[in-house]
Amino acid sequence: MMKTSAEVNLLLLLLVFTLHVKGMRYSPPGKPALTRCRSPEKETFTCWWESGSDGGLPTTHALFYRKENSEAVYECPDYRTAGENSCFFNKNNTSIWVSYNITVVASNALGSTFSDPVDIDVVYIVKPNHPEMVTVTVLEDKGWPFLRVSWEPPHKADTRSGWITLIYELRVKLEEENDWEMHLAGQQKMFNIFSLRSGGTYLVQVRCKPDHGFWSEWSSTSYIKVPDYIQREKPMWVLITCFCAFIFLILTWLLHMNGHSLKDFILPPVPGPKIRGFDKQLLKNGKSDEIFSSLVVSGFPPTTSPNCEDLLVEYLEVYVPEEQELMEESKDLHDICLKSEGCTSDSDSGRGSCDSHTLLMDKFREAKEEKRQRDQEKSRTGTEDQRQQKDWEEEGLTYAYEDMVSPNISSGRVETWPSLFSPLPQYSSSRHSQKSSLEKAKKHCFSDSLFPPGSTSFSLDQGGQTTMEAIRSSNREFSLRIKQPHLLHSHTQARCQLQAHSEVNISSIGCKQALGGLRSPAPHSAEYVEVQRVNEENTVLLQPVESGHGHIDGCSQLPLGKDYSRVQGVDRYNRLLLKGEVPQEGDCLYDYQDMTGDGTENCYTSSSVPSIQKPTACIHTVIMGHDEMVLAENGYIDTLTARTLPNY
Amino acid sequence: MEKVVLLLSMLSLGVSSQPITDVQRLFSIAVSRVQHLHLLAQRLISDFESSLQTEEQRQLNKIFLQDSCNSDYIISPIDKHETQRSSVLKLLSISYRLVECWEFPSRSLSGGSAPRNQISRSLTELKRGIVLLITANQDGAEFFPESSPLQLAPYGNFYQGLGADESLRRTYELLACFKKDMHKVETYLTVAKCRLSPEANCTL
Repeated sequence: MMKTSAEVNLLLLLLVFTLHVKGMRYSPPGKPALTRCRSPEKETFTCWWESGSDGGLPTTHALFYRKENSEAVYECPDYRTAGENSCFFNKNNTSIWVSYNITVVASNALGSTFSDPVDIDVVYIVKPNHPEMVTVTVLEDKGWPFLRVSWEPPHKADTRSGWITLIYELRVKLEEENDWEMHLAGQQKMFNIFSLRSGGTYLVQVRCKPDHGFWSEWSSTSYIKVPDYIQREKPMWVLITCFCAFIFLILTWLLHMNGHSLKDFILPPVPGPKIRGFDKQLLKNGKSDEIFSSLVVSGFPPTTSPNCEDLLVEYLEVYVPEEQELMEESKDLHDICLKSEGCTSDSDSGRGSCDSHTLLMDKFREAKEEKRQRDQEKSRTGTEDQRQQKDWEEEGLTYAYEDMVSPNISSGRVETWPSLFSPLPQYSSSRHSQKSSLEKAKKHCFSDSLFPPGSTSFSLDQGGQTTMEAIRSSNREFSLRIKQPHLLHSHTQARCQLQAHSEVNISSIGCKQALGGLRSPAPHSAEYVEVQRVNEENTVLLQPVESGHGHIDGCSQLPLGKDYSRVQGVDRYNRLLLKGEVPQEGDCLYDYQDMTGDGTENCYTSSSVPSIQKPTACIHTVIMGHDEMVLAENGYIDTLTARTLPNY
Repeated sequence: MEKVVLLLSMLSLGVSSQPITDVQRLFSIAVSRVQHLHLLAQRLISDFESSLQTEEQRQLNKIFLQDSCNSDYIISPIDKHETQRSSVLKLLSISYRLVECWEFPSRSLSGGSAPRNQISRSLTELKRGIVLLITANQDGAEFFPESSPLQLAPYGNFYQGLGADESLRRTYELLACFKKDMHKVETYLTVAKCRLSPEANCTL
């Protein structure tokens, strides 16, 4: 047992000793090593080292240095200033352009260990501090901002005396990016950065380096925010403006190219009046009275007169052979009397007959001149009445011709005129008969508009002044071209009778009848005579056509029986063939508004009258007779002679 | 040559109405020249070190302290305090001496890519510029370098003990010394220039 405990004790001791030995291994310190030596301003420098293993024993370190060309070994003067494991050499101990051989020695109880020597030259170990007072400001260059970075050298570095020369470098980056943008600034202490991002935040750092040395550490980061100088909306508006301007230019060009057609499309040209013979200057003058008066054509439209009276002259000339001498006589008159103021109407007034009419008028004019000369020669021969008679004969003729509206008056008809007039004095039937005949005679009447109310009648026998006046006035009234302004009291009836060649005989009667004077102005009333039949003696039997008052609106009254108002033709025996037609209602197309109940009769035309100007076959003549009849060109019937013998 | 013409033209003007400006320009030119030479020396030695093998580099480190440069006889301020205590004229004269002592030995330097005589020419021009500067500062007093009779001594030391093993070492030492001296001249000239400049800010 004792032996066992001793062995145990021995083992324990051995164990402890082993442990003790392990924990208590001492060795000389490990080899230290100089890590770096730096000089911040080329006036002082500091060396750092790191120690090796300490060997378990407290180890001390020492730095020794030796300058070149000298064997003296100096120890580090300052171990504390620079911190742990460092040696600081102050200005007094620092020499430039002198090589230092520095060695660090680590020593402990067991020994010391030297580090490898390091040769340094202060000039080449300069590493300044980072630049100080780095300021970044945003400046503007014509609206575009830029950064201005300024700094100061480290306060320890003596750049003023030129002892140390520093060059600087800065770096910039956006906050959200990772790459720095380097800028070498040289020896200047200020730098501009352009091309900034609008609204971005920039980071700026600066460092420096001596001409022969190490770069300093980067300065602390400076943050700067760039203001928004690019407006997002502006480029879009610029684009829109340019686009609109472009469109506008294109439209302007198109408008210029198609200006004419567009103008015609928007403002179509107003067609001018195309009325032949219408003076456009009247329109430009703007006087409505003149315009309307120029439009109004005498004889058109016939407002009141029955349809038969419209420009239609139907002549039934009854030729009386034994009265040729009268014809000749009247022919002279005729030639003379035809002269009057010419129809000054032009070709556009609808009075197409005026052309030929003017021819006749010219002839009459010549004749009249001759006649006047003759009269003058005759001087006072003849009674005044005769003269008057002749005068009015002349004038009547002239006026008759003037008033004659019927177109296509052939020159041949001129000759018939005297036949009309000449026998007139012979027929001096009673007034009453004339009246009746007048009533019954269908006359070629003109519209009331042309003939003011008045029912002067015309009488050749009496040759009254009144008739003359009537004629004259009627003439003047009728023809607008005649410039004789005094009012007319003409009677349309008288007028008509003048017109109708064949009716002269009849009308003379009627005129005498109505010669009683100028009746009070009454609306023109036409008296028509309806041909009833032709008896075996070649006599045309007339039937008065009673017209009512209510003729204004329409043909309310129709003649009874057949209407022989249409001339069909002339047979070979020189007989007037009349066509009998049943009058129809509504045929009265004429607007005879001025019809009054004077006992006048209106003329109904059975045929539809397309236009007022068209001469209708409103009955004209009443003449009976076996005289030869000449068919006018357009349906008129001209008789060479007319003999009025109204038979009822 | 251009610099010579320029310096001569400056000198012909003499101490004109604006001597400081001319001096400033001369200084600037001189400093830039020296800087160039210094950089050239740095490049030479770095090229030399890269061409050596690692074992030879270790040897060089040990050998470096044993010998000294040929310009060690020239006493020059070795710290800032001493430099600032020296006058401009002293600095210029020292610079002149330093440049002059390297004017001929630089021909033996292995130029690498640069021709051999380029460094020597630059040094000669630099020397003339410094002479101008000294003359401008002295205001008429002539300058006679003191070290002219001792110029041969470096050459003597230079070529002594030149062996096959030591050729490498000597080359390295030569390059190192050259580089150091150039840096000295640069520093002295810069300090002298900044001292003469009217503005406080010398760096610009």
